[in-house]
Parts: sequence; structure tokens; C-alpha cells
Amino acid sequence: MRSRRATVVAALLALGAAFAVVAAAYATPNRAAAPTAQTGSDAALVKCGKTRSIGLMAPFTGPAASIGINQVHWAQYYQRTYNATHSTKIKFVNEDTMLGSANGTAESVKGAQALGSNPSVLGVAGPAGSNEVKATTGALKGAGLGFVSGSATNTQITTDGTRTGYFFRTVPPDSSQSLSVSGYITSKLKVTKVYIVDDQEAYSIGLADEVQAQLKAKGVTVGRDGVSQQQSDFSAIINKIPRDTELVYLPWQLPPKGQAFGQQMKSLGRGSVKLMGSDGLFDPLFSGLGSNVYDSFFPLNPSDKRVKAFKKLHGGASELFGAPTYVATQVVSGAIDRACANGTASRAEVRAQLKKTKISKKASLLGLPVSFDSNGDMVKKPFGVYHSVNGVFVRVG
Amino acid sequence: MRGPHSFVRSYFPVNWSLFFGELVSGLTLGSIYALIALGYTMVYGILKLLNFAHGDVYMVGAFIGFFVLQWLGGPLTTAVTGWLAIAIMFVVAMVGCGALGVGIEIFAYRPLRNAPRIAPLISALGVSIFLQNSALLLWGPQFRSYDTFDLIGVKSYHIGPNFFISNIQIFTIAASIALMAALTWLVVRTRTGKAMRATSFDREAAEMMGIRVDRVISFTFFVGSALAAAGGVMFGIVFGQIFSLMGFTAGLKGFTAAVVGGIGSIPGAMLGGFLIGLTEAFATGYLPGGSTYANLYVFALLIAMFLVRPSGLLGSPVIQKV
Repeated sequence: MRSRRATVVAALLALGAAFAVVAAAYATPNRAAAPTAQTGSDAALVKCGKTRSIGLMAPFTGPAASIGINQVHWAQYYQRTYNATHSTKIKFVNEDTMLGSANGTAESVKGAQALGSNPSVLGVAGPAGSNEVKATTGALKGAGLGFVSGSATNTQITTDGTRTGYFFRTVPPDSSQSLSVSGYITSKLKVTKVYIVDDQEAYSIGLADEVQAQLKAKGVTVGRDGVSQQQSDFSAIINKIPRDTELVYLPWQLPPKGQAFGQQMKSLGRGSVKLMGSDGLFDPLFSGLGSNVYDSFFPLNPSDKRVKAFKKLHGGASELFGAPTYVATQVVSGAIDRACANGTASRAEVRAQLKKTKISKKASLLGLPVSFDSNGDMVKKPFGVYHSVNGVFVRVG
Repeated sequence: MRGPHSFVRSYFPVNWSLFFGELVSGLTLGSIYALIALGYTMVYGILKLLNFAHGDVYMVGAFIGFFVLQWLGGPLTTAVTGWLAIAIMFVVAMVGCGALGVGIEIFAYRPLRNAPRIAPLISALGVSIFLQNSALLLWGPQFRSYDTFDLIGVKSYHIGPNFFISNIQIFTIAASIALMAALTWLVVRTRTGKAMRATSFDREAAEMMGIRVDRVISFTFFVGSALAAAGGVMFGIVFGQIFSLMGFTAGLKGFTAAVVGGIGSIPGAMLGGFLIGLTEAFATGYLPGGSTYANLYVFALLIAMFLVRPSGLLGSPVIQKV
């Protein structure tokens, strides 16, 4: 009897765990949180003082923490340089969004509510993922907070009108990146057989869908599959990729995973197939795979003195994926400073200043000037295509 | 004139390249799951405890292997030859995790040995979360790369025009089979193994016969954790990347393998591990949306096993006198 009960308990535990894993890996919640009562009112004036609080929403922990911490490092790097050169200081109010975990968007909504309730917070840098942007819109908008993401690239989050005037981003949307990628694949590489492997995240699926549609429209044969972001064994899916495939496109967010995929391709005798990554894979780990590697990225200058200083500060790691979060923090900080010019500011004033952002090409780090259109997208949003030469990405298109 | 190969090909249009590719992938992955499953099954066999911290011990093993590699000079400038470095990584990780397993048993499970069964289960979950968060705090959330390509130079051999197998895959499958054989020898042929079996059969009777049960249980934890560590190092070598949250899913798969094989049965754990690995690989290769839903197929297998044969493939139903 006891052993039977033990079996039933074990079965229930296993079932629960199975659901947890499946939910963690495949959940793509897409709902905006309902606005909640906030203590920090939209028009309430806050005395600015010498220290200004910015909400920083990023995946400090959870499955995407490896890229989240990269963004946090860049935000902190901006804070460090700002605090060293200004009489006023920046203080972050951190909220961990746990992107990619089973309750990821719920955590981000909690974080957004906490920031909304904190009257000293005047603007937010983040969140990182497009799903999180969708989920937190209700809470942030309800609290009157403007928010600027350095990595949410889903095309619709600025064009659907839901968060216009509140949400801005310092990365070009997928539509911009997909055009550069599909154009380069067909016109320069002249490839006719492509296989796309997405990583099942909103960012990846959205970008993969756009590239797939554009390639198909140009007569390219496109195969499609997906892997979990937590997966490390790609051999089973590599076996499945047809032998005559000329290029594999990986719109992924984690450079170590891109590196592992490339290494496993080589170990399975597929080392000559071209690999093309998205901005998420723009990293020495991926470019180091060899001359068959391509990538797309905004025209950031790796030899910029701030990039070099950042690298020095972090033991040689460039972590360029997080660079737009530096700019996002710069945008929020600039808007707060302008709103605080008379000593007090409201969240509405900060939002108004976010719209008026103008950062010159030299000051923006992205290699292009930053100002926003009426949707909250950058006015200039070109994507470059890079080729790995001796392990370093060189712009080729 | 058509040869036998073309005859087979025309009547059985199987993509053999894909089939053998998935077979090797499944066996490689299954080897690692089997090593994890062995720890689950040994602890369950002896204590009737589901040690949910086992997956995190596997993660710690992978990290110990990584840090040993760094201590030896890193993959590019290793102080010793690549294969010797791997051997040292295995030994240090296995000993380190063996000690960790014993520590977990002494501090988290032994005080609860006579408590209701839910108490050590909760304790196991607590240890799991503790290890996971400690790893996150100590080693950060970043992925760490073993860079096996630089360490030993991965070679792929092809048998026929399109079927490839790498030296790393051969090594993983062979090393895990060797470890399983050593464990079987330990359990079946040695006095310690006999004591383990006796303790598993009836702990009180074993104690009355002069077996030092606490020591046997600690030894079981040592061996199970050492095997998990070997699995962790193998994972790093084969798949290249390790990170602080890798233990959760792997632990769950190892647990599933142990249950599918028949929890408490050592050959069952091995069989279950290979079966889970093969299910995952073949689901990815052949089933619609396979790679997306590979976990779904794996856990569907677990549920089917519970429905058809609750005691697992090689587990025997316990008959209890009522």
C-alpha cells in the first residue's frame, strides 16, 4: 500500500515538474497587465534634489541573466561616468524581471508596480524583452512612467498604438534588421537554400518570421525549426538540417549558445555551412567560430573610447549586446535632467522630455544620432551586416 | 544490376544519415542522463528519498571541472595534455561532488531520517534552491565555455558519405558505459556493495547484522554525487557551455530516466537514461515540431510509463504484507 502511495506521489511530483518545465520553456504570455492603483501620480511634482532615481528593469537572475547582467553592466557604466562628471547623481532602483523563467512576465509586472509606487522614480530604463514590454505596459502607463528599452525589438510594440508616448527604444525594430539580413543573403551571398532556427522567444520568433517571409518572397528555399533557449545539445537538430543547406540563420539572444551551435556543426562535419546571427549574437564568442560566420548589428563602433573603457573595466569582455541599454539610460537620465531644470519634475514632464530626446551621433555610442519618431522608434535605424575576419566582425553591408 | 543497398533504399526509403545521426545524439545525451539517474535511483533505493538536489550537484560538478581547467591554464594553454587535463577534471569534480553529496546527506537529510517522508523531500528542494542560488551568487549568471575544440581538437569521423560521429561523442558514450560497469561491479561484487544492497533491502535488519548503516548511506551519496559530477563534466565537454541553472532540467530528466527505468534499479536507471536521450533525439529528428516539443515527448513517455507499468521498465512491484 505504502509503495503504491509513493508511486502516486512520485507520479504527481513528476507531472507537476513536467508541467513546470514545459510551461517555463514554451509559455509566451502576451497580455498587458491591468493598470493598478499607484501612489506616484502622473502630474505630481517631485523635488529633484541632487540624486535622481531611475528604475532599472532587467533580468538580473533567471535563464536570460547572462545577457541581462550584460545590460546591467552597461547601465551601471553610464551611471558611473555620469556620476563622475555631473554635480547631480543617478541612483538606480533595480527590479529583477527574471526574463525567460516560468513566471517571468509576472515578475516584471510586479517590478513595474513597485516602480510605479515609488514616487522618487521618474523614468525607467528597460525592460529587456518585448513580451515584458507588453506585460508591464499597464502598470507603467498607469503610473505615468515613461520607459526606454535597449533590447525589445518586436516590430508591433511601437506600431500598435498601445504605449505611444510612454514607450521608446534605442534599438531598431525587427523589420529594419530583417530587411538588411534577407537583402544581404540574396543579393550578396546569393544563397538559395537557408535553414532558420529560432530560440522560441518572442524576439527570435518575430525576427525569424520576417526573414523567412522575405526570403521566400525572393525565391529562396527556407526550412524552419526552433530550439529552447535553455538547450545546449543541438546535435539532434543539426542532423535534421538538409545536407544541401548553404546558410543557417540563428536569430538568437545568447552568444554562448551560438558558439555551441557552431562548434557542434563543425564536430558533425557541417563546418563549411555559413552561419548568420542576429544582433543578439554580435559577440567575439560567435565571430570566433571562423570565416563562415556573419551577423547583423547596428553600426556601433567597437573602437569607440567608451567601448574600450568598458572592456577594460570588465576584464576584456566587450558585451556589445548591452550597449543600447547604456543609451537607454542616457536617454532617461537626459530627460529627467531637462525636466528637473526648475528644481521639480513630474513623470508627465519626463515623458514629454523623452519625446524631445536628441543625442548626437558622437554622444550616442550607437554610431547614429538618437531621436524618436511619434511611435517611439529611433528616427534613424539602419542595420549593418558583418563578416567574421580572423575572429573579428568587419562590416560588409 | 541493382545491388542490395539500392534495393533496400528503394523499398525502405529511410534517411539513414538522419537515423544514425539521431541515434548517436540520443546515446550521447542518454549517457549523461543515465549517470544522473543512477544517483537518483541509488539514493531512492537506500533511503526511499527523491533527492531533488541531485541535478544541482551535477551543475556543481560541471563548474568544478571548468575551474580545474582554468587552474590548469585554460583550454588554449593547458599545462598538461588535453586528455590528461580531462582526466584531472573528472577526478577532482567527482571527489569534490562526492564530498558535497556526503555533506548534504549529513546536514540536510540525516537529521530528518525518522521524520515524515515529506520533510526530507522539502529539505531536498531547499538544498536544490540553495545550491542554485549559491552558484548564481558565486559564479554569476554568465555561461562558461569549456572550449573543447581548443582543448583536445574535436575530430569527426565519417562512416559512409553522410554519417558523422565525433571523437567527443565516442568518448562520452564509452566513458559513461565504463562508469556504469564500474558501479555494477561495486554493487554486485564487493562487500560494500553487499552492504548497500542489504541496507536497501531492510535498513533495520542490516543494522542488526552489524552493518554501519550511516556509513553505507554516506558512501551511497558519495558515489551517486560523483557520477552526477562525471555527467556534468561530460556535458561541458560535449556541449561546450555550462551555467548555474543547468541542473534543474537535467535533474528532472535524470529523475524521469530513473522512474522510467524503475526507480531503485541500477540497470533500470541506465536503460531509462538512454531511452530518454533517444526519445529526445528521435522526437527532434522525426516528429512534427520535434525540437520545440522534445520535452513534451519525454514527459509523455514518463506518464505513459506510469499508466502501463507504474514500477518502471525494470522495477519490481513491492509486495507488502497487510
